[in-house]
Amino acid sequence: MTRAVERSFAVRWRDFSLGRYRRHLRRLTLLAALVVLAAWRAEVNMHDLITGLGRGLSMVGLFLPPKWDAFPEMIEPAFVTVLIAATATPIGALCSILFGLAASRNIAPAWLRAATRTAIALERGIPEIVILLILVAAFGIGPFSGVVALVIGSIGMLGKLVGDAIEEIDPRTVESVACTGASRAQIIRYAMLPEVLPSLLANSMFRFEVNIRASVLLGAVGAGGIGYELSTAMSQVEYNKAATAALVSFALVMAAERASDHLRSKVLSRGQLA
Amino acid sequence: MLSVNSLTKRLPDGTVLLNAITFTVEKGEFVGILGPSGAGKSLTMRCMVGLTSVSAGSVVFTGEQGRTYTTTTIKGNELRRARRNIGVIFQGSNLVNRLTVLENVMIGRLGRIHPLRSWLYGFTDREAEEALAALDRVGLASFSGRQTGSLSGGEMQRVAIARAIYQRPLCYLADEPIASLDPKNSRAIMKLLQPLARDHPIVGSFHQPDMTAEFCTRVLGLRNGTIVYDGPPRLTRAQLAEIYSQDLSLEPEETLDAMSGPVLGHPVTSTGHWL
Repeated sequence: MTRAVERSFAVRWRDFSLGRYRRHLRRLTLLAALVVLAAWRAEVNMHDLITGLGRGLSMVGLFLPPKWDAFPEMIEPAFVTVLIAATATPIGALCSILFGLAASRNIAPAWLRAATRTAIALERGIPEIVILLILVAAFGIGPFSGVVALVIGSIGMLGKLVGDAIEEIDPRTVESVACTGASRAQIIRYAMLPEVLPSLLANSMFRFEVNIRASVLLGAVGAGGIGYELSTAMSQVEYNKAATAALVSFALVMAAERASDHLRSKVLSRGQLA
Repeated sequence: MLSVNSLTKRLPDGTVLLNAITFTVEKGEFVGILGPSGAGKSLTMRCMVGLTSVSAGSVVFTGEQGRTYTTTTIKGNELRRARRNIGVIFQGSNLVNRLTVLENVMIGRLGRIHPLRSWLYGFTDREAEEALAALDRVGLASFSGRQTGSLSGGEMQRVAIARAIYQRPLCYLADEPIASLDPKNSRAIMKLLQPLARDHPIVGSFHQPDMTAEFCTRVLGLRNGTIVYDGPPRLTRAQLAEIYSQDLSLEPEETLDAMSGPVLGHPVTSTGHWL
């Protein structure tokens, strides 16, 4: 047998000796040691976990039963939460086309691509809550700050995806359109957008779901909506009211997830079959 | 109509890809460029439409109302104006897969309509009808609403030709239009191209000497970036050997054997070596 055959997966598969696993064992031991060290530094201990769990469970009791009378006053905040996501997602998707174009090397000059990619990477590195806190300082508390924070967040995700999708377009397709005498704007319209729009649409659906979740969370720190109700109820020790708000936000997130999954599968199947 | 003068392409490391390519194409000609892979056939065509920069030499194209364009040096709007008069027939796989067949054909007219209109309004009904007529000419009128990505290789190639026809150019460049097609489809494509050449000359690159012998009016032989043959389409065995064999002294028998099939018109498979 040649060396290549001996080293091949098919032959090694028959080898059950310990030596074969030694390398993996060493790595696993190293990994386990790291986890233990990290847990120790993070002050994880079983005693706190168990007593804490008990306390947490008794807390759950405080939330029950939810305050059903509070339900009508949750409808408007829930609407605000959906509105924040529903405004931010399409605006973010539209902006991400521009950012995506500016971030792809086959349409933008190198300096613009570098600048856009850096901006997107920076934005992705900052959690939306931090962006919101900065925006709240600028625009004040309210849904508007929430919308702007989510638009920025959506551009960070969708802009990168659009940029990558445009860079993956076959250069020969672009050249064949350019050879008809088409301008740069026409090339974008007829050779690039048709190839990236379906996936942008599908990703926007997914982003809408993410934005609903984020919108609930951002509500708690000043964007308004259901998250705001939840956090005020908690801080005013009205746990039963908080439970109602939590149930409503749970329903919102579930509904958004189902809707986004459904629409996404529709968009994707149309792209393949039509 | 189209004159290529001492076209030279050198890589930064000094490798010569095209060596003083010179030829002129006149009305009524169907020029087939033959040569082994890497000889510079596609590169020559890319240089002719300004897709690749050249190291030396020029390509001069006579456009509408006798206007001349030096496609190797012009840029921007001037290059766009030249390009809309040159119909480039790409390998069919270079179509925009997500658009319909009709839309892919209509792309051929982009150079003639205002960018603003192409963005905001699109094409007029008349333009769509003309595009349908172009599709009809290649026998695909019933495919107009299909998504292009779902077509077969031969069908895509026809769409690429329909796009070039719809573009109403003054000459055509066809970069390996029948590569990767079976003999029947290849013949059908060549039959489509041949009548086009009567009004507007075609320069095409091919790998099938039997096809160029049958359909072209003239053949250029390219080897290692140099023209080694320029003449009538029916080449002798020796002439073909000069084009195709890199070094005859090495493996003369095998080189000629490998070629004898297509050259003499026998399908290669008949030798049985492949099967």
